[in-house]
Amino acid sequence: MNKIVAYCRITDNALVLNGNRNFAPPVEGTGQVRLTNLYRALGLTYPKFHKMDNVSKAGFLASELVLRSLNYNMEVPDSSTALVFANSSSSLDNDKRFQETLAKNAYFPSPAVFVYTLPNIVTGEVAIRNKILGETSFYIMKSFNAEKMHIFVEWAFGCTEIKQVLCGWTEYLDGHCDVLVWMARKKADTGLNFSISNINKLYVDPYGTIDFRS
Amino acid sequence: MEQLILDLKKQIIEVLNLEDITPEDIDENAPLFVEGLGLDSIDALELIVLMEKQYGIKLEDPGKSKDIFRSIATMAEYIQANSSR
Amino acid sequence: MIKRLSDNIVSPLGFSSEACYRRVCLGESGVIPWKDPTGTDIPLSRLDKEKLTQAFTQTCKPKERYTFPEQAMLLSAHLAVEKAGIDASAPGTVFVLSSTKGNIELLSCPDHGFEKDRIHLWYMANLLAAHFKNPNQPIILSNACISGACAQLAALALLRQKGVEHVVVTGVDMASDFIVAGFQSFKSLDQERCRPFDARRKGLNIGEAAATIVYGRGENAGIYLRGGSIRNDANHISGPSRTGEGLFRALTSTLQSITAKDLAFICAHGTATPYNDQMEAVAFARAGLEHVPVFSLKAHFGHTMGAAGLLESIIAIKALEEGVVLPSLGYELPGIEGELCVSTEMTGTDKRFFIKTLSGFGGGNAVLLFEKHV
Repeated sequence: MNKIVAYCRITDNALVLNGNRNFAPPVEGTGQVRLTNLYRALGLTYPKFHKMDNVSKAGFLASELVLRSLNYNMEVPDSSTALVFANSSSSLDNDKRFQETLAKNAYFPSPAVFVYTLPNIVTGEVAIRNKILGETSFYIMKSFNAEKMHIFVEWAFGCTEIKQVLCGWTEYLDGHCDVLVWMARKKADTGLNFSISNINKLYVDPYGTIDFRS
Repeated sequence: MEQLILDLKKQIIEVLNLEDITPEDIDENAPLFVEGLGLDSIDALELIVLMEKQYGIKLEDPGKSKDIFRSIATMAEYIQANSSR
Repeated sequence: MIKRLSDNIVSPLGFSSEACYRRVCLGESGVIPWKDPTGTDIPLSRLDKEKLTQAFTQTCKPKERYTFPEQAMLLSAHLAVEKAGIDASAPGTVFVLSSTKGNIELLSCPDHGFEKDRIHLWYMANLLAAHFKNPNQPIILSNACISGACAQLAALALLRQKGVEHVVVTGVDMASDFIVAGFQSFKSLDQERCRPFDARRKGLNIGEAAATIVYGRGENAGIYLRGGSIRNDANHISGPSRTGEGLFRALTSTLQSITAKDLAFICAHGTATPYNDQMEAVAFARAGLEHVPVFSLKAHFGHTMGAAGLLESIIAIKALEEGVVLPSLGYELPGIEGELCVSTEMTGTDKRFFIKTLSGFGGGNAVLLFEKHV
């Protein structure tokens, strides 16, 4: 049976890792400030974080938390993990920033902003951080759709080389953050069944009573 | 020159989002890339934008500007010699 | 394995795959002189918008206003669906959209008069499905420059599912000021027509296009997408891996039972940036493919981003059908370290397989394997 072995939910109000909301010191602020505060609260030292757009920041932090909770070895190149991410507004949050650098009277297109005007850059950031060499895919859908996510992850599992898929919903627009990252593992013994209803449960009610080990 | 170097440090910290670094942390003679501040290829492109935006200096691709971007001191020297502002 | 039922390309070289292929064979290019807002030369492969709107209006008979990328997308999908003769409104038909920036142009004109959500890729995909009165939610891939390959692999996965009979895969992107400015800030645009794999290559040209392939199941003669892989470099978000890590892994994972001598050619990504082309050569050599003829289509169409995986696959499919290896336009002087067999003239081939490769921002690399059944 394929299982969900860890998850992290970050929204404007919620911050949950594997059902636990007290895994880090309380994080103040909203939007981008809140993400930076979370980065500091976790004691991370990864200067590249500050260069990322908000979609990448949010997705990176949630991925970092999930992988840490699994004691993932980020030093060893790993071709057995795939990344399947999705969101609704693509990179629109950062596209607006780039558009500002194209003003008629101050036309200075910023390469550092432009590089994040693609939604899949977050998968690249997570892959680089963790030496993940498997498939990286990015889908767009109007709103979070557990059924679709389930199908896309099953497709990635179709490759025999892939043993686990880090799945992500990384939506960030105009200061509002809606992120869920979870690890789905092929034929795992423990964890939540990798089912549409369980994916939905993590998204809708991440604090809910989740029997995580059985 | 000293003021220019301080300005450059502040500008670089801002445009490259070097959050945890202050101007005092940066040695203007230390290499900008790989060692030192550990900047990469996208940072180099952003420095080209900075040179144009702040000092009116148009540079070619980073490959041809390697000597200018060796350190903050070399950048400052180049600006002093070439700035139109 | 899925069968290509029909295809279409809407590009500056024509509004059908056949027209585009014919002009490719004649060595023609859609790349024309253009200047960016600062006055710098940045040649583009640009669609004639008047011709586009005319063809779109005649073919699709729109009842409302559509943006240019929407027009190109709908025109291409419409023509391909018509040619395939499938019922696109049937529940067994699924639409897949591949695009990097879709309607991004709307961001620069706040008075565009369209609804606020029009800028989203999901909105664009809904227009595609709605045009054909298709009841299914379309699938959207936005995986930078490899999107068009990912979208075809989605078709492969979809057609393994019960109830799915046909998949219409459409890719589209425009040379918006937004994208042009971005690539310009990356110093990766050539001021002349691009020269993939050539010693004097200086960068890419942006290209506009929409392209569609309709896939279904089948056993008889025709062209089949056999499989493919996506692998990440885990190296840099914009620069390719010096060791071609992701592409090499995608190649070995895709080829498995297929060897270099089975391949008629490689239709490479070949953007004509110094690093990309060198990286591809390294990956091909690592995979033992250094003697397989390679060509890039970027000097004909520019880099069409979200459409590239489809457009370039279609041209390569036509070449395989005709038993032809195309020359790589813009290539004259060897400019790659290591061995690489760049195709310099049109030659015949009786081999039945080819691969299409793509690499992009975010470190993604994709390989597709096509086969001709006679």
